[in-house]
Amino acid sequence: MPLWFELAALMVAAYGAGLGIGWALWGRKEQEED
Amino acid sequence: MNELLQTYWPLIVAALLVGIAIAWYVFHASRRTRITGTSRDVLDEGAAPAERNKALIDSAPAATPMEPPAGVAPTAPSPAGDDLTRIKGLGPKLAATLRGLGVTSFAQIAGWDDGEIDRIDAELGRFQGRIRRDDWVGQAKLLAQGDESGFAERYGKLS
Repeated sequence: MPLWFELAALMVAAYGAGLGIGWALWGRKEQEED
Repeated sequence: MNELLQTYWPLIVAALLVGIAIAWYVFHASRRTRITGTSRDVLDEGAAPAERNKALIDSAPAATPMEPPAGVAPTAPSPAGDDLTRIKGLGPKLAATLRGLGVTSFAQIAGWDDGEIDRIDAELGRFQGRIRRDDWVGQAKLLAQGDESGFAERYGKLS
């Protein structure tokens, strides 16, 4: 597996984790308020 | 993999932060309610309109409550008023409108003259013309007198 591919996969995973953290912090609460 | 993380961890952290920032914007910042009215504040007009309104509220009412005509002996209306929907052509929506205009009894409707009919008619929106078309005044006179047989004879059976 090329290095750039591994790095890209890690960054995408980190980006997804960030989205998940953000959703848990703000998205879930605001869905309950609607 | 570990070597990769050790070497490029700033990039990974940056991707994580970008994800968090985008999630914050999508789930939180963009969903805030913004008040972006362009109309001026009511107080920009100064205190004069408020004083005028207060004076209007405090002043004596311009009109006295309507009395039923001499020929009509009203049955005692209940405190909540008569069931105006007994008048044919007058449904719950119109009855609510009339209540809002202070009309709650048959005796009041029976006492309407042409001017009063025009005044009330103007408030009825898409039901304008109903008062004369369905002869509310004639119906109300009979209902106020409690003359149900006369009513049934002239306007049909009471519902």
